Amino acid sequence: MTTDIETISMLRDSLERYTAEQYDFLKRWRVLEQPAGYSAAAWQNYAEFGWLALRLPEEEGGLDGDAVAQGAVMEVVGRRLLMEPLLASALLATGLVVKLGSPGQQAELLPALAEGRLKLALAHEEQLDGQSCWVEAGQLTGAKQGVLHGDAANRLLVTARDERSELQVYLVDATGEGVERQAYRLVDGRRAANLRFFGTPAERLGDEGSPSAADVLATAFDEASVALCAEAFGAASCLLEITNEYLKVRKQFGKPLASNQVLQHRMADLYMLKEEIRALTRTAQQAMLLPAAERGRVVSGARAYICHAARNIANEAIQMHGGIGVTEELEVSHYFRRLMVNAALFGGRDWHFTRFVESTLKSA
Amino acid sequence: MNKTLRDRAQRLREEVREFCRHEMPAALRDKSHRHQVLDKDDYLQWMRLLDAKGWVVGHWPQAYGGRDWSSLERFVFEDELARHGCPWIIPFGVKYVGPVIYTFGSEEQKRRFLPGIVKTEEFWAQGYSEPGAGSDLAGLRTQAVRDGDHYVVNGQKVWTTYAQWADWLFCLVRTGNDGKPQNGISFLLIDMRSPGVTVKPIHTMDGYHHVNEVWLENVRVPAANLVGEEGAGWTYAKFLLKNERTAGAIVGLAWHVLERLKKLARETTRDGQLLIDQPLMRNRIGEFELRFMALQEVAYQAVESMVEGTDNGGEASLIKVRGTELYQEVAEALVEALGAAGIAYDTAALHSAGLPPLGDDDVGGILKEHFYNRAATVFGGSSEIQRNIVAKAVLGL
Repeated sequence: MTTDIETISMLRDSLERYTAEQYDFLKRWRVLEQPAGYSAAAWQNYAEFGWLALRLPEEEGGLDGDAVAQGAVMEVVGRRLLMEPLLASALLATGLVVKLGSPGQQAELLPALAEGRLKLALAHEEQLDGQSCWVEAGQLTGAKQGVLHGDAANRLLVTARDERSELQVYLVDATGEGVERQAYRLVDGRRAANLRFFGTPAERLGDEGSPSAADVLATAFDEASVALCAEAFGAASCLLEITNEYLKVRKQFGKPLASNQVLQHRMADLYMLKEEIRALTRTAQQAMLLPAAERGRVVSGARAYICHAARNIANEAIQMHGGIGVTEELEVSHYFRRLMVNAALFGGRDWHFTRFVESTLKSA
Repeated sequence: MNKTLRDRAQRLREEVREFCRHEMPAALRDKSHRHQVLDKDDYLQWMRLLDAKGWVVGHWPQAYGGRDWSSLERFVFEDELARHGCPWIIPFGVKYVGPVIYTFGSEEQKRRFLPGIVKTEEFWAQGYSEPGAGSDLAGLRTQAVRDGDHYVVNGQKVWTTYAQWADWLFCLVRTGNDGKPQNGISFLLIDMRSPGVTVKPIHTMDGYHHVNEVWLENVRVPAANLVGEEGAGWTYAKFLLKNERTAGAIVGLAWHVLERLKKLARETTRDGQLLIDQPLMRNRIGEFELRFMALQEVAYQAVESMVEGTDNGGEASLIKVRGTELYQEVAEALVEALGAAGIAYDTAALHSAGLPPLGDDDVGGILKEHFYNRAATVFGGSSEIQRNIVAKAVLGL
């Protein structure tokens, strides 16, 4: 399945136009000041433009967006540092509903997701290794942490073991009985939550006709990793542009910083990193069509390289800006913090690097 | 990217792979497997073998005996040959001067020189660098003074690869001194047998004779051997350097040494454990693999963007810098992993079928490659020049 190129470029254009007007760096300040950690108004606009239906099948009025289409959105998310749960709800959680949900669940959830009435968050990570969350007789027990947008979500998708000890995804009312939410701010201003479940009513996402939840989750995590590559590309290329302009304008010792060869060469190195991020993002997107083992190898390789490369660009952007680079006032520090979060989600650099290396040395 | 183009490139890759596996003459394959020193006859055999396949000038237009390859096919061809450890394609005729002649040369020059280049009947060398003009090529001082229907050339060229075998030298000379140093440079074709041409070897640390000084003393060159216009040589030189930087071979070379390193790590036990299972080595190989993936993907997509015309002008520099850095570092790691065998170097084994004093039969060749590839980040535009290009041409700094 590939999304056609016109659809993708229309999507990209409309997102760029809207965010240029409504989500520039100054307007984003107001979003940062909101206690919710995102803009409810922007979220409604995304719904009206159809962007929240990106992951829905065409027969549900969606765009059936593949990794490239998702990347077009995520690149803008990275360029504009959008705060809304596009990755968590519109891509990741919606994707799980599309792949795992029973026909009844899809009929109930998908329209609400596309219209922006429903926000979902996936709760997967736990403090201890393994899946200690379990469901018995429709009741969920255990704890999750670091759930991106976990406080904004109306409902949660929670991974847990069923009575046969198989991994499943459960639908839980986030505001209902038996859920304790501890919400907090991330370094980039978005919000996350730790969750505890005490015999919380939980409905399995899917039915007898659904594919294996473990397989679907593995694919979904790779898909999210690829989306993060595109976000990193958007943020890193902005940082490069901003820093490049700054070097031309800022004068020291009576001449622009740009006239120093040591800085020219460092900028050339950043350009190389940026081009590698671009290329590997595309490679990872194409890898989503490969069989699981090869897909995982390529996606993790791209992710490991990109985490490192993008953070390198962020570090250098601060250094070349000098003191102003670490201030709240300048965009640079905001990109820096977004890339910090980006590199920590869905397995950090070391996890992906290990997966890439072990898989590469095995397959050779 | 056009699917037909991509399919054509893939078919070419498979043909080249088949050729490397089954059609390479055993003696040549053996030498190239050991990274041994090849002599002129080996190269003649190799280049003519490629010509018989129609590949040696595959990137030329059909009108001059080529196949009109796209940049992608050219890239795939060079990449695949290098992956199999094939001999170098000596580029001075087929890649450098040939395209200059068919693009800017006279009809007479095309008729006279192109067939000999395609068939490798004449060897060429490149007269660019001088003692005072390396990266700053426009600073060259070799003089050509018009005397009737000849030029009289005086000066010195350096780093001239395989000048000892060359029949012809394409040479940048100064015919004027007005204005910018780039003005007044001309492009001359010089017969190496002309009186006044002296070739002196430069010995490199691999113990081999690749490069030379070429001294030119009152060498008389027919004016008919001037390519294009007098004083326009810088334009042709830049055109040539652009061709020089399309090297797809660097990806294949990096792959080749990385495969060799993995093979060694899987077969070598040290301190009671296979190298591949030792955490530091495993991490090192893993980092190389990751960088190789980045190099390969960047290179492919860059070449595709060149075909589509969407490139930003920095891609060739990027591939060269990243490719040569990786190639050097992997070769260095490989030599280190050889342990005691990595410092034993008997150059005699490079020329004969004899075994090196320690290690496998290719160990001497690996060392030779390690020594020689230290120059990979220097020649063809040093890494620093490549960064200058990116900073100026792409970033506008």
